Amino acid sequence: MIPLPAAGREQVRRAAVDLLCRDRRSVVLMVALNALAATAGLAGPWLLGDIVDAVAAGRATASAVDRAALAILLCTVAQIVLARSALSTGYRFGERTAARVRERFLDRVLGFPAAVAERVPAGDLAVRGTSDVSAVATTLRDALPEVLIAAGQALFVLVAVFFVSPLLGVIGVLCLSGAAVATRWYLRRAPDAYLAEQAAGSALADELTATLTGARTVETLGLAERRLASGRAAIERAYRARRRTLALRTVFFPAVDVSYVVPVVAVLLVGGMLHTRGDMSLGAVAAAALYLRQLAAPLDAILVWLEQLQSSGASFARLEGLATLPLVSPPASARPPGGDQIEVRGARYAYDGGRDVLRGVDLTVRPGERLAVVGPSGAGKSTLGRLLAGVDRPRAGAVTVGGVPIADLPPGLLRRQVVLVTQEHHVFRGTLRDNLILAAEAPDRQLWRALAVVGADWAAELPDGLDTLLGGDGVVLDGACAQQLSLARVVLADPHTLVLDEATALLDPAQARATERALAAVLQERTVIAIAHRLQTAHDADRVAVMDAGRLVELGTHDDLVAAGGTYAALWRTWHGFTRPGGAGDA
Amino acid sequence: MTDSGLAVSALRGPARYLWWLVRCQKPRIALGALVGSAWMAGLTLPPYLLSQAVDNGLQRRDLPALTAWVAVLFAVGGANAGLAILRHRTMTLIRLDAAYRTVRAVVRHATRLGAALPRRAGPGEVVTVGMADAWVLAQALTVTGPGLGAIVAYVIAAVLLFGISPLLAVVVLAGVPVLAAVVGPMLRRLQRAGTSYREQQGVLAERLLDIVGGLRVLNGLGGKELFARRYRAESGRLRREGYRVGAVTSWIQALGVGLPGLFLAVVIWLAARMAAGGLITAGELVAVWGYAAMLAVPVAFFIEGGFDIGHALVAGRRVVAFLRLRPDPQGAAPAPPGAAELWDPESGVVVPPGLLTALATARASDASAVVDRLGGYGPTTAMWGDERIDTLAVRDRIAVADNESYLFAGALGSVVAGRHEPREAAVERVLAGAAAGDIVAGLPGGATGLIDDQGRNLSGGQRQRIRLARALYADPEVLLALDPTSAVDAHTEAAMAEGLRRARAGRTTLVTTTSPALLERADVVHWLVEGRVAATGRHRDLLAAQPGYRALVDRASGLATGS
Repeated sequence: MIPLPAAGREQVRRAAVDLLCRDRRSVVLMVALNALAATAGLAGPWLLGDIVDAVAAGRATASAVDRAALAILLCTVAQIVLARSALSTGYRFGERTAARVRERFLDRVLGFPAAVAERVPAGDLAVRGTSDVSAVATTLRDALPEVLIAAGQALFVLVAVFFVSPLLGVIGVLCLSGAAVATRWYLRRAPDAYLAEQAAGSALADELTATLTGARTVETLGLAERRLASGRAAIERAYRARRRTLALRTVFFPAVDVSYVVPVVAVLLVGGMLHTRGDMSLGAVAAAALYLRQLAAPLDAILVWLEQLQSSGASFARLEGLATLPLVSPPASARPPGGDQIEVRGARYAYDGGRDVLRGVDLTVRPGERLAVVGPSGAGKSTLGRLLAGVDRPRAGAVTVGGVPIADLPPGLLRRQVVLVTQEHHVFRGTLRDNLILAAEAPDRQLWRALAVVGADWAAELPDGLDTLLGGDGVVLDGACAQQLSLARVVLADPHTLVLDEATALLDPAQARATERALAAVLQERTVIAIAHRLQTAHDADRVAVMDAGRLVELGTHDDLVAAGGTYAALWRTWHGFTRPGGAGDA
Repeated sequence: MTDSGLAVSALRGPARYLWWLVRCQKPRIALGALVGSAWMAGLTLPPYLLSQAVDNGLQRRDLPALTAWVAVLFAVGGANAGLAILRHRTMTLIRLDAAYRTVRAVVRHATRLGAALPRRAGPGEVVTVGMADAWVLAQALTVTGPGLGAIVAYVIAAVLLFGISPLLAVVVLAGVPVLAAVVGPMLRRLQRAGTSYREQQGVLAERLLDIVGGLRVLNGLGGKELFARRYRAESGRLRREGYRVGAVTSWIQALGVGLPGLFLAVVIWLAARMAAGGLITAGELVAVWGYAAMLAVPVAFFIEGGFDIGHALVAGRRVVAFLRLRPDPQGAAPAPPGAAELWDPESGVVVPPGLLTALATARASDASAVVDRLGGYGPTTAMWGDERIDTLAVRDRIAVADNESYLFAGALGSVVAGRHEPREAAVERVLAGAAAGDIVAGLPGGATGLIDDQGRNLSGGQRQRIRLARALYADPEVLLALDPTSAVDAHTEAAMAEGLRRARAGRTTLVTTTSPALLERADVVHWLVEGRVAATGRHRDLLAAQPGYRALVDRASGLATGS
């Protein structure tokens, strides 16, 4: 397994800036509209200050008040319209960017070379593709516009205070530094705590999913108490993680709340002194104090979204992390293979730097032959299959087709050359037709023929034929049917070489035998390499390769190997079932 | 009360369920309401204090008075901050309690439903109930704190406003609810606008999961372009849907903030005219502005609370529907003591006590149908001794081991031990019996090594052996095992057959298989054709007497005749 990384701080910053730059016009428009809306919003207290001054000076006439009040009303209407435009621009920006993020994620996933795609943890990838993508989208759609708006408003309030009195403005800003300190403190601790909260939440979801999906097993094995206990433990861990973030907020929130009051208090005191000396009007002091009180709302809005920004920042880092995967892209060899002969020379392979699972394998696969690979579990059969299919490249030695390393073939060419079918199957959500014609269009007649070859009689009984929806809300295929579907895909793909790794293991023995034979008949000119624990496959093959402990120990026809009385002969006798091996095997 | 502490009445409907969540934490809810009210009431004080500071301090150029009022303003600000965090803490703990209470109830009910669960509900659906719906319900409890506080704050603002001017008070106090009535339905519209967006989002997530799941296939056979194109098209549809939602949402949000602003402007107009006419002071004018602005907070809480409760009732319906699912009816009568044979009249299969019986059939579905009937899963006419299986309590005595049975994450030893505490020697014995010794050797940490959920870090053959080991450890009176060696190589198969026979010596066991290794170790073999027993005997006898049986199980002769 290759653990999926998360992107570093610098990389996240670059990616975020890149997203903003791609939609520069919207961002600028959003900020500008916000600025205008905020300006309109500030007119209220401003005009109120005038009215207060006039009332206090005893020179307020009804008509002057009416004029000012009407102006306040108009400004509010303007604010509504401008704010709406700003929000709408923001939403569109968010939607566009979210689409960009999820499409880029998909492109990266699809861009994995086979070796990486086979070994990234599918669960983690799925979580990133769903919850992380949606967390980032929510932030882009809801949080980012609102935070930008709030930031704009806060900035404008401060500008307005400066406009009323630069001195009071300076005092206001200085007094807000408390909030800045608290925020820094919080932001240093919050990411880890929220990541832990998310992790504990996912673990609880996994726990719940396991109990729900395994409900039958819970009953058959009487595991109820165990499952309840482990559910309780997961809840306890999730609860503790949430208590930890709550503890951080318990420090942060009051600190910020108090720091909102400080500028108001300071401005009132200093302004009061200036007013007493006659250096400042009563209205100016009142307006400055009211403005600063207004600062609380936008700052609070930012604060509310900080958590969301924090957690979606982590999600974004996880999405961007895919970009840091070491992608060993094949040095696309332009040279097409000179023939279909597959050569394995001194091939060695080890997973993730562990010990070698293949320890020097030499093998020549003749074009058009049927080769069976057998051997006990852990002998390296599947690994050899992956090398032959170009999924992995050998650590030492070479695996070539027509003189070209298989793993170097560009994907399109590789696909025509060799296809690997394993026991793991996947039915895509979509019609049966979609599931069959993955790579190339084909007439229905050909699709039906492919299904017939692999013995997929059930297809004829589907309600809508080739247009029947599979998976999800549609028809759910069982393992055997899904395996037949995989094989039908291969019949259609018609590669030069086919590697079957236990590709019929889920079929009934009789069914498996029939399917393998039919497949062989269709793929007459093709090379078929079959890895199987059912020895009838070996019996049917032209040659049998026997593997043990990472080495090729025997190679020859079934009859020759049985006659030779070696490993294969022993295996055959055991499989045949007429002798008691007395507990032999890999136990 | 039921045994989980879940009141029976809580299942009468979503509202009753919500009420149950409230009742479970009365003291905390009371504290939340108290603190929430105090906090909300505290919000009314700063405008008042500010007006006093302006009127008595600033306007009179009285610095000591100004300082005193400002000091009180600061103190009240600090106290409010304290109340705010106390409220947040209390409400957070209330939500956590409610959410996890629902999760616990869902888990407990799932374990009670057991085998009935997959038949009654899709797993994805139930996970939504357990995770998303639990939090939606919990969110609604927020209303218990500030909701009450909002009413208190409203009353306090009313009293203070009446002190300034009855006319203004009437305008403000009547205006705010009218506003709420206007803004509320708009927010509901917002909710509706988002529904199809979320559905589309779900579709897109499914599509992505589908692609991730089939990545190997796409890598091997191609088709990435097709799937990428389709995903892009759906992503584009979601984006356009988002634009549509955004167009509506932006109006609603702008008006949500703007309408109170308009209302405020009207109030100020009125108050300013009164001030101009000398009816109220400049300070009172400032205070009116403050009160009217402050009332936006409780009104917002009313709206939000209504919103949350609406959501919670929908989520609650799903939760209650799940918790109301009934487990399969199960017999209560004690199973026959001692040796008695199992008999499935539908197929004619007889499982004699204390022996190893094998069931060979070409159709795996026939075999699993027999096992389900004998194990008492679903409708059955099977008998145990003289009693019908469905009248007996058989769960603790008859165990079914199939290849789909779930492997939960955990240390290898405890996975194998299942419901029991893992005893080292016993774990080792059953692992050896299932020919699974190599798994222990290959796992970092051996028997304490961790197995991933669904055994994802094991191969198919390894998972199969762990499942057999688990069934052997449980050591049930009767073991019904479905094709336990289908995914292993010949050597391992033989070792498993021998291990199974030894481990189950003298116990009643049925295996379904076509493996000669298992069949020849069985005391009795039933050959099933079209779901009915066609012949019964020892493996060798059947081989000799039944050509059809030989064709099915004798791997060599099958090959010879076929090719």
